[in-house]
Amino acid sequence: MLEKTKNIARQILEEKKASAVFGLMRNEWNIIQPHLFEDPAGLANLVLEPKWLLAKLAMRILRSSPENYKLAVICRGCDERALIELIKRNQIEKENLLTIGIACSQEQAAICLCDRPYPEKLDAGEKVSGVDPFQDERVRKFLIGNDKERMKRWADMLKRCIKCYGCRNSCPICICEPCKLEDDVWVQRGVVPAETITFHLIRAFHLSDTCVACGACQEACPVNIPLLYLQLGMRKTLREKYGYEAGLDPETKSPVLSSAFEKPDTDREFPDWINSLREEDES
Amino acid sequence: MNQPRILIFACKWCGFIGADAAGKKRISLPSRFRVIPMECASLVETDAILRALAGGIDGIAVLGCHIGGCRYNNANHTAIKRLELLQDLLDTTGIGSSRLLLSFGTAHEDYQFEEIIKNFFDELTLLPPLDPWL
Ligand code: SF4
Ligand code: SF4
Ligand code: SF4
Repeated sequence: MLEKTKNIARQILEEKKASAVFGLMRNEWNIIQPHLFEDPAGLANLVLEPKWLLAKLAMRILRSSPENYKLAVICRGCDERALIELIKRNQIEKENLLTIGIACSQEQAAICLCDRPYPEKLDAGEKVSGVDPFQDERVRKFLIGNDKERMKRWADMLKRCIKCYGCRNSCPICICEPCKLEDDVWVQRGVVPAETITFHLIRAFHLSDTCVACGACQEACPVNIPLLYLQLGMRKTLREKYGYEAGLDPETKSPVLSSAFEKPDTDREFPDWINSLREEDES
Repeated sequence: MNQPRILIFACKWCGFIGADAAGKKRISLPSRFRVIPMECASLVETDAILRALAGGIDGIAVLGCHIGGCRYNNANHTAIKRLELLQDLLDTTGIGSSRLLLSFGTAHEDYQFEEIIKNFFDELTLLPPLDPWL
């Protein structure tokens, strides 16, 4: 898989399809870091592990580059989905982005609780099947029980928060300037632990229909709060009610943005008289 | 136990008319609620709902027009979808979706408003307090 990725990257650079390939490099001190490969010779040091989301960095690079700068990003499934969500939000110009999609291993998918451990545009590696997060023992243990038990569990967990903003900063799609989490109107400033309902749930809900379940928030959290679990229920609802998943393609908009007639949910029925109203509307 | 506190966001074309009429008729209602008139239910910010819960409000009601009856280009559809998603998050965290009442096209009349508020009030009285979160 590594050799194949290197070949694709080399080809892209030699044919000048992109100004640079963005991936991970093992540097001279044996440390792995994100790197812009501009010279094909440098690709010798390219590596694919560990999991490292590059979408947000790629967005920053593209934003601060001249207009015709094209970037080829080596990305896993979640990274590709994040890039697509950023395209949808007009943060990345579609024309300026190429992807080299690589598949994740079964072990990685199990660690990430990932239901799609491969990009839609797969260039190197073999697809493995995803994991249903709701079948996972850790998730089940955390989310079962009645409201009272769940509330206690989350409250205990979220009280550990040291308000480092790591969850926000690491999320590839959390990009607003200014951020509501830094605004006193919404979240009390200068208190630790962060206000539970506002800080955590405002963040979680802003990502409701755009979270690609990459798990970066959770991995960044220094006190091990299972932040991904906050998103799972909403992702499930979007899939079951509207057949929607974030980040699969740049054209499909979130159902939350459209009228219920264009994108009805599967278990809501409209009475007949509403259809008659619709016809009047349209005529 | 203290009486629950309710915050109501009411679209001025339907829910607010019901609320107003209930007031004019002097219908007796639980006392601890406030109505905020909105131009449209779609303008109710989800963040404001969370802010209210954090501020000690026990339940929030969003009253909008019926599906198909919105004055603003079906904006209430997006409101329902968005708020239902928020209900999911409330369920995930154990706050419970029953603290967020969504009612569309059901509060045009004074007696309808009365019924909705009274029922909501009764339901909230039965819920465990939000204390661990505050
Ligand atoms: S979340 Fe999925 S796609 Fe991303 S690294 Fe984990 S297994 Fe791979
Ligand atoms: S899993 Fe976390 S970091 Fe990844 S998109 Fe969702 S909220 Fe953002
Ligand atoms: S990463 Fe964890 S500790 Fe840091 S702000 Fe987010 S939840 Fe709190």
